[in-house]
Amino acid sequence: MLNIENLKAKIDNKEILKGLNLNIKPGEVHAIMGPNGSGKSTLSNILSGKKGYEVNGTVSFEGENLLELETEERAHKGIFLAFQYPLEIPGVNTNTFLKTSINAIKKARGEKELDAIEFLKLIKQKSLELKFDEKILSRQLNVGFSGGEKKKNEILQMSILDPKLSILDETDSGLDIDALRIVSEGVNSLRNNKKSFLIITHYQRLLDYIKPDFVHVLKNGQIIKSGDYELAKELEKVGYEDFN
Amino acid sequence: MENNIKINFENYLNKKNFSSSQKEIKEINFNNFIKNGFPNKRIEDWKFSDLKQIITTNFENIDFSKKEEQSNIDENFTFDLEHNKIVFINGIISKIDFSYEDEKKIIVEQNSNLEKELSENSLLNLNTAFVSNYTKILVKSGYQFKKPLILFNYLTNDLNNNGLNTRVDINLEDDTSLNIINISNENLNNNFLNFRQKINIGKNSILKNYSLDINKNSNFKYSFKDINLEKNSHLEYFILSKGSKFSKHDINCSLNNEYGSVVLNGIIDLNDERHHEIKTKINHNEENCKSYQLIKSVLNDNSKGVYQGKIYVDSKAQKTDGYQLSRALLLSDEVEFNAKPELEIYADDVKCSHGSTSGNIDENSIFYLMSRGLSYEQSKKLLTNGFLNEVIEKITNEDVKSLVKEFIGITE
Repeated sequence: MLNIENLKAKIDNKEILKGLNLNIKPGEVHAIMGPNGSGKSTLSNILSGKKGYEVNGTVSFEGENLLELETEERAHKGIFLAFQYPLEIPGVNTNTFLKTSINAIKKARGEKELDAIEFLKLIKQKSLELKFDEKILSRQLNVGFSGGEKKKNEILQMSILDPKLSILDETDSGLDIDALRIVSEGVNSLRNNKKSFLIITHYQRLLDYIKPDFVHVLKNGQIIKSGDYELAKELEKVGYEDFN
Repeated sequence: MENNIKINFENYLNKKNFSSSQKEIKEINFNNFIKNGFPNKRIEDWKFSDLKQIITTNFENIDFSKKEEQSNIDENFTFDLEHNKIVFINGIISKIDFSYEDEKKIIVEQNSNLEKELSENSLLNLNTAFVSNYTKILVKSGYQFKKPLILFNYLTNDLNNNGLNTRVDINLEDDTSLNIINISNENLNNNFLNFRQKINIGKNSILKNYSLDINKNSNFKYSFKDINLEKNSHLEYFILSKGSKFSKHDINCSLNNEYGSVVLNGIIDLNDERHHEIKTKINHNEENCKSYQLIKSVLNDNSKGVYQGKIYVDSKAQKTDGYQLSRALLLSDEVEFNAKPELEIYADDVKCSHGSTSGNIDENSIFYLMSRGLSYEQSKKLLTNGFLNEVIEKITNEDVKSLVKEFIGITE
């Protein structure tokens, strides 16, 4: 599904990714762990098309050159990034935003757009599944949301937009145990043999809830080791500093 | 140009049969206008909008006496709300419709009898010199309007490349309430419009005044509003400044007795080379009054926006609560925005604050929205609408609120 070969990225002439390789197949859950400054967020930004990076290497998504696509085209193709810090958009109603978003994606995919009733039905169903208080959706997008509410909102968007590849950028940061469990359950409920996930995190904690198929250690802009869930446990014990 | 206006004025005086006292008022005002001319940027109030230059660049000649006859035009405008209306064609009342109201409680008259005055504002001098259809609307004590009143200004093609002065006074007696919507057809060419309104809001009365300049047009417009509030009265004022080529909305609002309050909000939403200004002066002349102002501007292309706002607090006006904020979103490198927020305070027990910000659209927010499948343009539009929504949400008349959303292009 996603194939990254020798990916290098610079920002302001500083090299952040220094030849990263990663292959994700349909239905797989991959976790990338790494210390601060190892290039985790850069990776998720580049995959979702954020501007400002000088990028080399190849990234293909379902056989297509991902790096040539605009941010919104990547969303249309089925890539979703759950933000580490979801942005507050004052004056924009969350429901209005969600409807605009899902219909933009449906339109690009040549599917029929949802009318107001179909949309509300979908929202109701998804909120119920994720135990998400839908009242919050009539508020301004992320404005005045607690950290947990923002992250839950990201997961709700993920569930509504139904992506093929979901990238979760430190979704666990700033979450208390209860929110962490709700978010993880949300992710787990979306797992199937077609959907893939790339989970970026500092800690093993989230991985106790979402058991990944593969764990990779990112250090200095490269994946220095890959393994299964046991690797995360080992990492937690040893720490990034001494991990080689 | 001034010479031509002079000849126009003399012809105009000869043609009309004014009484000698009216003639004198007009002559004095006209001479004052000729002495000072159109205001230029050396005058502090016109620092950011040099009208003299704007007029000279865009007009070869302006004849303010051009159109005085009643036209038989079937004006049409449709608004999706129940309303009363007064239709003006080139400043002359052509239709009055108060079908939702008790007509005995409202008096509308139009004549040419102006009171003696000599303002320092040369555009008001010009207005007094040329206005011969002076409209007065009176709402009698205790009467609450059931539906909004639309004041519709229809301008005919005869006015192209010329000017028009209009004057409407609105007097709300005590314990009354009225919602007014000011609109124009304005899809005409190159008119200079000098609109003046004088409003008095009686004790315990409420006026909601909505001024909507919507249609793209190439008019040059100056609107001056002089508003007085009596004890315990309330004014809600909203401006949508969007369509004209040039517009200056000049509001002078006085809180003349205790417990009066003013909420004045505005949107400047411009593209192309449009140049709009909102200038406000709120005079707190007595104790315990409140004023709140929020102006938001969105500037595209080569447009220019200006906000000048002053809160004046008299030494008598203790316990004043005044607030003023201007925020501007600059969407191109070629736009210009000027803000001059001012406080002038002579009392010591007051709460007053003001602020002004301007900036570009947040690219991180754009990225967030695009990552959800929205195009760049869609994302920009959503962010801009969100930015303006805060002002629109302050409109308390729900019908007008949805109307404004429609004009801005906000869908729910």
